[in-house]
This record gives sequence, C-alpha cells and structure tokens, in this order.
Amino acid sequence: MALPAASALAAAGYQVLSAGEAEILITLIDAIVPADQDPGAKEAGVVHFIDQQLAGAHKRFVGRYRTELPKLDAACRAATGKGLAELGLRERTAFLERVDQGEVAGGAFFQLVVDHTMQGFYGAPKHGGNRDGVSWRMMGIEKMMGRHGGHA
Amino acid sequence: MKLDAVDAVVIGSGAGGGVVAKELATAGLRVALLERGRLQKYSETGHDELRSQRTTVLGNAFGPDDERHVRLIQVGDDKELRETLPSEGSYGNVAACVGGGTFSFGAMAWRFLEKDFRMRSTYGAPDGSTLEDWPVTYEDLEPFYTKAEWEIGVSGKAGANPFEPRRSKPYPMPALPYSKEGTVLRAAAERLKWHPFPIPMLINSVAYQGRPGCIRCPHCVGFACEVNAKNSTAVTVIAQAVKTGLCDLRTECVAKEILTDAQGRATGVAYFKGRELMEQPCRFVVVSASATESPRLLLNSKSRLHPKGLGNNHDWVGRNLQGHAYSGAYGLFRQEVFDGLGPAASIAVCDFNHGNAGLKGGAMMANEFIRLPYLFARSVRPPGAPRWGLGHKQFQRQQYKRCAGIKGPVQEMPVFTNRVEVDERRKDYWGIPVAKITGKRHPHDIEAGRFIADRAAEWLKEAGAETVWKTVAGKGSTGGQHQAGTCRMGVDAKTSVVDRYCRVHETDNVYVVDGSVHVTNGGFNPSLTILATAYWASHHMVKQQGKVKA
Ligand SMILES: Cc1cc2nc3c(=O)[nH]c(=O)nc-3n(C[C@H](O)[C@H](O)[C@H](O)COP(=O)(O)OP(=O)(O)OC[C@H]3O[C@@H](n4cnc5c(N)ncnc54)[C@H](O)[C@@H]3O)c2cc1C
Repeated sequence: MALPAASALAAAGYQVLSAGEAEILITLIDAIVPADQDPGAKEAGVVHFIDQQLAGAHKRFVGRYRTELPKLDAACRAATGKGLAELGLRERTAFLERVDQGEVAGGAFFQLVVDHTMQGFYGAPKHGGNRDGVSWRMMGIEKMMGRHGGHA
Repeated sequence: MKLDAVDAVVIGSGAGGGVVAKELATAGLRVALLERGRLQKYSETGHDELRSQRTTVLGNAFGPDDERHVRLIQVGDDKELRETLPSEGSYGNVAACVGGGTFSFGAMAWRFLEKDFRMRSTYGAPDGSTLEDWPVTYEDLEPFYTKAEWEIGVSGKAGANPFEPRRSKPYPMPALPYSKEGTVLRAAAERLKWHPFPIPMLINSVAYQGRPGCIRCPHCVGFACEVNAKNSTAVTVIAQAVKTGLCDLRTECVAKEILTDAQGRATGVAYFKGRELMEQPCRFVVVSASATESPRLLLNSKSRLHPKGLGNNHDWVGRNLQGHAYSGAYGLFRQEVFDGLGPAASIAVCDFNHGNAGLKGGAMMANEFIRLPYLFARSVRPPGAPRWGLGHKQFQRQQYKRCAGIKGPVQEMPVFTNRVEVDERRKDYWGIPVAKITGKRHPHDIEAGRFIADRAAEWLKEAGAETVWKTVAGKGSTGGQHQAGTCRMGVDAKTSVVDRYCRVHETDNVYVVDGSVHVTNGGFNPSLTILATAYWASHHMVKQQGKVKA
C-alpha cells in the first residue's frame, strides 16, 4: 500500500495544529497504534482526524493540545536527553509508559490522545483517519462495515 | 406569541409522549405535540459509530447538541459539581428527536414481571431506600402491554420464557433467529439447567404494518434503521397521530414552563420556537420529556400556588432517579463466535430476576448488542491488558470475533437523595435553568451487580470461554439511557407525584407520562413498560378529559 510519509502529511496542511505540534502528535499516535504487519495510526492519517476534530467536535480540547504537546516533548527531553521525534519507537514507547503510569507528568493528556487516536483509527474514514478502512481490514470486518455504509 | 387553544399539549415525542399523542388524536382531541429535536431520517446520519447514540464522542446523532445544552453533575464523591455536555457519558443523555430514545434504541421489548410491580411487598425496603410497590399491577397493565406489542410491533416467541406471567396474546411477529453467539450460549444455558429464549424486540422480524423486516445489519443499537424495520414511536404511533389531522407535531420547539392560573390549574405551555417565546393555551398538559427533563420542566414551572415547582409541594419531584446497575462479563473463545449480524443481542434468561438468596431483585441477562470497533477498543479488555501499543493492536486483531459479552440491567433500589434539581444560576441557551444530577447508587445495587456478573461469568465458562472477566456497575450517580423514577406514581399525595393514572396529585389537568412515573425500574430495559403505561394512562385520560370543545 502506498502511503505518504509523515512529512508529506504535515505539508498537506492542518486546520488547527502547527507543523511543530503535528510533528509531536505524530510521534504519540505512532506509539499508540504502531505499524506492524498492518498499518498503524500514523499511516492511517489519524493526525488529520485529530486536527479535523479540533476544528469541530473536539474544539474544547484545543487549549490542552496547545499547552501539553510541547510540555510532553520537554518532559521527554528532560527524562531521556532527546525530544520525542528523535526517539525510536521502542524508547518512545518506554517513555510514554512512564507517563501513562504517572511516573512522569502528563498522564491525563496522554490518555486523551490515546482516546482520540482510537477514535481516528477505528472510526469512519470520512472523519479523516482510518484511511481506506485499514483498521477494519485488519480486524477482518471491512465487508461488515463497508456494506452498511461505514464510508458514508 | 399567543396561539389558538388546543385540547392538549404533549411535551416530548419519545416513548411515552408518542403513544399519548396518538391515543388522544384518535379519540378526536386536538393535540399540539412539542418536540425540541427534529424529525430525522436515516440518510442524515448513516452508520457513523463515532456519532451514534451509543458512542457519542463526536456528538449525538439524535441530539441534543453540545452547543446549547449543559447539565451539572456530581461525579463520585466529589463535593463540587461539574458541567457536562450531551456527548459525554456523564450527561445521562437519551435523545432529542421525534421518537425520542426509541428512534435509535436497541429495541429490546421487555414486559416487567409481577414482582417488579410489588418490590416492597416482596422484599421489604432496605435501609436508605424508598423502595415501594407500584399502585398498578402486572394484571392492570397486561392489556396495554399487548396493545403496545401489536400496535408498535414486537417480534418474539410467546411462552418461551417460563418466568413470564400470563399474556393475553402471542407476539405479532416471530422472534429473530439466534446469532452465532446466541447458538453457543443457548446450549450452555441449557446445560446449566437455565431457561434461555430469544429476546423480544421492537424490530420487525418480517414485514409488518407496511414496513419491511430486519436485514440483520450490524449498525443497530444507537442508529436509525436503514430499512425502517425498527419500531420507534416516530414511524408508528406518531405517524398515525399526525395522519388524523388532529395532532400538530411541532419540532424544534423547546418547552420552557407550564403556565397556571390563580387556582393553580394549567392554562397552557410556554415554549421557544427558535428564540421566539410562544404561548400555547390548552385544557390539559402531558409532560413526556424523559425522567430528567420532565422533573426539570415541573421544577421550572413555579407560581404562587406552586412555589417549589408544579406538583412539588411535598418535595418529591426529581427524587428517586434510577437507571440500571449494568453488570456482566466478557469471555474470549478459541473459536469465532461473532457473525457480524445485527442486532447481535439475541438470547436471554430470566432465571435471576428474582429469588436470588439474600438479594432484592436481580436482572434479566442477555448477550450484548454488537460492539463496533471503537467501542470494542475502549471497553472490552481483560484487567491489565494493554490499552495502547502493539499489545492493544494484537488484541483488536485476534480477539474481536472470539469475544462474547453478557450483561444484565440490574434493578436499582430507589434512593430519595438520588435526584434531579434545577440550578437557578446556570441557564441554557434559552435562559432556562439547567438540570443538576446528584446522588449515588444504593450499596445493594453493587451487591446485586456482583451476583449477576458471577452468573454471566458462569454462563460464558460453560459455553467454553477460556478467558473470562467481570464488569460490575460503579457506585456513582445513576440515570442514563434507562433513566426513570423521578415523578413517582403513588396513592399517597405526600409520597408521590402522580396518581395511578399518571395525573399530578396537586393539579388535575397535568399528567406525566414517561419513564419518570416508574416506581421501580425492573430488571429490564424499560421502554415497553413506558409504552404500556402510556397506553394505560391515555385510556383513562380520554375518559377524564373527554371530548369537550377547546
Ligand atoms: C442507545 C440507546 C439504546 C437503548 N436501548 C433500549 C432497549 O434496547 N430497550 C429499551 O427498552 N430501552 C432502550 N433504551 C431506552 C429507551 O430509549 C428509553 O427508556 C425511552 O426512550 C424513554 O422514554 P421516555 O418517554 O421516558 O423519554 P424519551 O424517549 O427520552 O422522550 C423524551 C422526549 O422529550 C423531548 N423533550 C425533552 N425536553 C423537552 C422540552 N423541554 N421541550 C420539548 N421536547 C422535549 C426529547 O427531545 C425526547 O424526544 C435505549 C436508549 C438509548 C439511548
């Protein structure tokens, strides 16, 4: 499957997120649903889902994304000596597990991003994520979801 | 603007209001049916899990919207109240559209059992509960349950549930077939010597009354029906009411308050059409706005003779809010048990509704409605399983079709301090004081929840599940999609809000007809009982309010 690289996605432009915010966010969603034999959240375009919702249904969370994304990146730098984008998947995941478990500040925000990532990855493609229904294909339910207008 | 008088104003076009509007209009009365939401069509919403009435993370497809609605809620043991929006679970939303909750509901169609109407006589009230008997019995309601099943349309297998009391007629349609999960669970229940049977549904299993049968689409609970086989009040009784020419369905009309005269009787209803305040005079008023919005409306209808709100001189309006303490279990099987066919919920037992040692009541237990992918990701994981990362993804990929869930709507003990109030300081878009929901479940509900979760786990293990885990209802505030109880029906005007015909004790031309009047809420999904009670109340209302020229 030909999927654009993360940098190409960023260049596609966002409604709410700055390029810098999007870059940090992509490092999170990529750890939340990583690619393996099936595409992950980054490849499914979940950053676009979140950006689109921040301009709509999730408007009320814009402030939290604005303040918490750079904070999390700074916390990562303080803890590991590197920013989120500089860490490989394994190190990033290890750091985010510490955030999730409350050892590093930012757990509540990370939980929010986990939830929004799941929405984007498993929800209808029309919302900007789950490109080509990749998660449904992974679960073997593309016919069940497609036949009944999940794409509509 | 003051309008020409009608016989009756019905506020809310959900389960209760839809039936009343039809019964009044077919009896020749002129009705204004006010609905804050719109008349919706399937094509507007389609099959979008993130905007279904079950998973409302991007908004409620069937209303209300987050922009104009808000409630105040007490979360857990917090002293501080929190604002909550309709798309958040804590709001306790049902819906806001023609048909109310029934337009997108799961459509299980349960009759309560005899004991569900006689909970206090059967068990005695536990400390801290206002448990009481209904002032009507199963036998009183039976003809009206039958009427609801035939007029609105229920599929089911009469006689298949040995715990069901006498019924005067079978169902008008055969039951939907068991799903794959249902077939696996049926054999297991029989081995346990339980009594499984197909769930009765307000869904056409075959063509009925000019609408088609179910196509087994997986997008059922939380969605409008693509082929119009789901029997909401919108497509049945309300359509019939409008057809009489006597029922004026007014959508996007938000009732503000009931207006009263110097004697305290209702003279009409004030409502907003857009931002314009309208006044609709009438001979009598029927409040059917759901168990949160009906008490809110009564409490917001203050006057000299009703200083604490209409019907509230004894401080019972908004009290005893109930829902269900849903509890159950999930199991993972070696083989696939999921066939992707809707509505998926297909098998039930009533072996544990009553007669459970040491417990007051219990629950019907049924396999769950279809869990679409996002809901599965967020809510179906054994304790300790990874919520994100590769482990999450692996689970989603491998277990989705191997998972079965069983749950029961555990009957709650009514608590006087579980309540809906209004907050004069916090107003909505129209300037109407919002609802404030406080309280927490009775400890007995949690105990009964644990018992039902144990039985669900037992059932799944017998069926061959290799990993089984339980879910038990939380201690927090109740209400939610099965909200009920806030305008209790009773004989004593000092300890209830309406009489056995749903008429407000203190005001003889105001009725409440919806889940609010439930004294107790059964161990079942409530809407067939709401529909039956609405037929019962309408029958008496027509006699009481007769055909007098408006
Ligand atoms: C996703 C979902 C699944 C469900 N599944 C089942 C099931 O399988 N079986 C079952 O028995 N029950 C089910 N229910 C519950 C069922 O829908 C409710 O119990 C039932 O609809 C309640 O009926 P009611 O008449 O009390 O109120 P509602 O149906 O909520 O109707 C109230 C109506 O009043 C309107 N209203 C409120 N305030 C105002 C106002 N101020 N002015 C004008 N209009 C107003 C509302 O917009 C609404 O349309 C489900 C509910 C949901 C949301």
